[in-house]
Amino acid sequence: MIAQMKVRGLMFDPYNNTFIVILRDEENADMLPIWVGKPEANSINFALEDVTTPRPMTHDLMKAVLDAVDAKVISVVISDLKENTYYAKVHLTYEDSEYSIDARPSDAIALALRTKAPIFANEEVIRKQASDELDQWLENLKPEDFGKSEI
Amino acid sequence: MEQNGLKELTKLTVHGVVADPNTETQIVILRDERTAQVLPIWVGPAEGLAIQQAMDDTPTKRPMSHDLLCSMMEHLSLAVSRVVVTDVKNNMYFASVHLTSQGTERTVDARPSDAIALALRTNSPIFVTANVLQQRGGNSLDTWLEQLGTKSTSAGE
Repeated sequence: MIAQMKVRGLMFDPYNNTFIVILRDEENADMLPIWVGKPEANSINFALEDVTTPRPMTHDLMKAVLDAVDAKVISVVISDLKENTYYAKVHLTYEDSEYSIDARPSDAIALALRTKAPIFANEEVIRKQASDELDQWLENLKPEDFGKSEI
Repeated sequence: MEQNGLKELTKLTVHGVVADPNTETQIVILRDERTAQVLPIWVGPAEGLAIQQAMDDTPTKRPMSHDLLCSMMEHLSLAVSRVVVTDVKNNMYFASVHLTSQGTERTVDARPSDAIALALRTNSPIFVTANVLQQRGGNSLDTWLEQLGTKSTSAGE
């Protein structure tokens, strides 16, 4: 089973000096936090805030390449969680064929936001995600840690 | 100079990526192997890393952004025929990626850092227009190194 997820926000993790993309399902019941690097977070933030950069960023180039040949992103799926690493798939259609391509969730999400493709997560991944650990981490957060990129 | 529609273009190789001691950025050194003329392009740290990893053939645990782009292109039988650093305006470099698919060529606008990261991963040639080289005004590496302290003379993307 898979659940459709929306990007609910992007937060800075001051303890690990990285960023967290918060995915939530439609009913806001399940949450999936995914830690991403700074450039990936920037790229996701640009897409969330509809910022047009003077030059195409890497994920804009990805979209431009797909657009150039009329290939479409149908969906991206957060497919697995192994040893604290999330795995994702980008599903493409091109000339009546479907392709499933291995990706990091950060790239998959940055691309999905630009191509308006839905983001799904395997329910198994949501189950596996250690929510205890996250709750503990969230308790340690101060209000000022929540930046303006939170939507 | 290349012939057959590629005239006015000079082939460059990626000589290296160095950290700019004055800023947090990286400098990609492109070089014309015949004249030893150098074209330095300032790029962000992430872009510098993407180029360095391609040069070193560093295996990463998970596909990085440009690996994903290559992987998508492979699946769709899209090939990169060449990348071209096309222009420099207001200290900003412009590039294009030339794609071939089933005999048709398409051109996509890109930052030079993405174009170079992609070219290295697809073993595609990197070219620069005569216009861009001229604007660098025949800077030798020495004069360029002297300019390192004055960032205002440098061009990024």
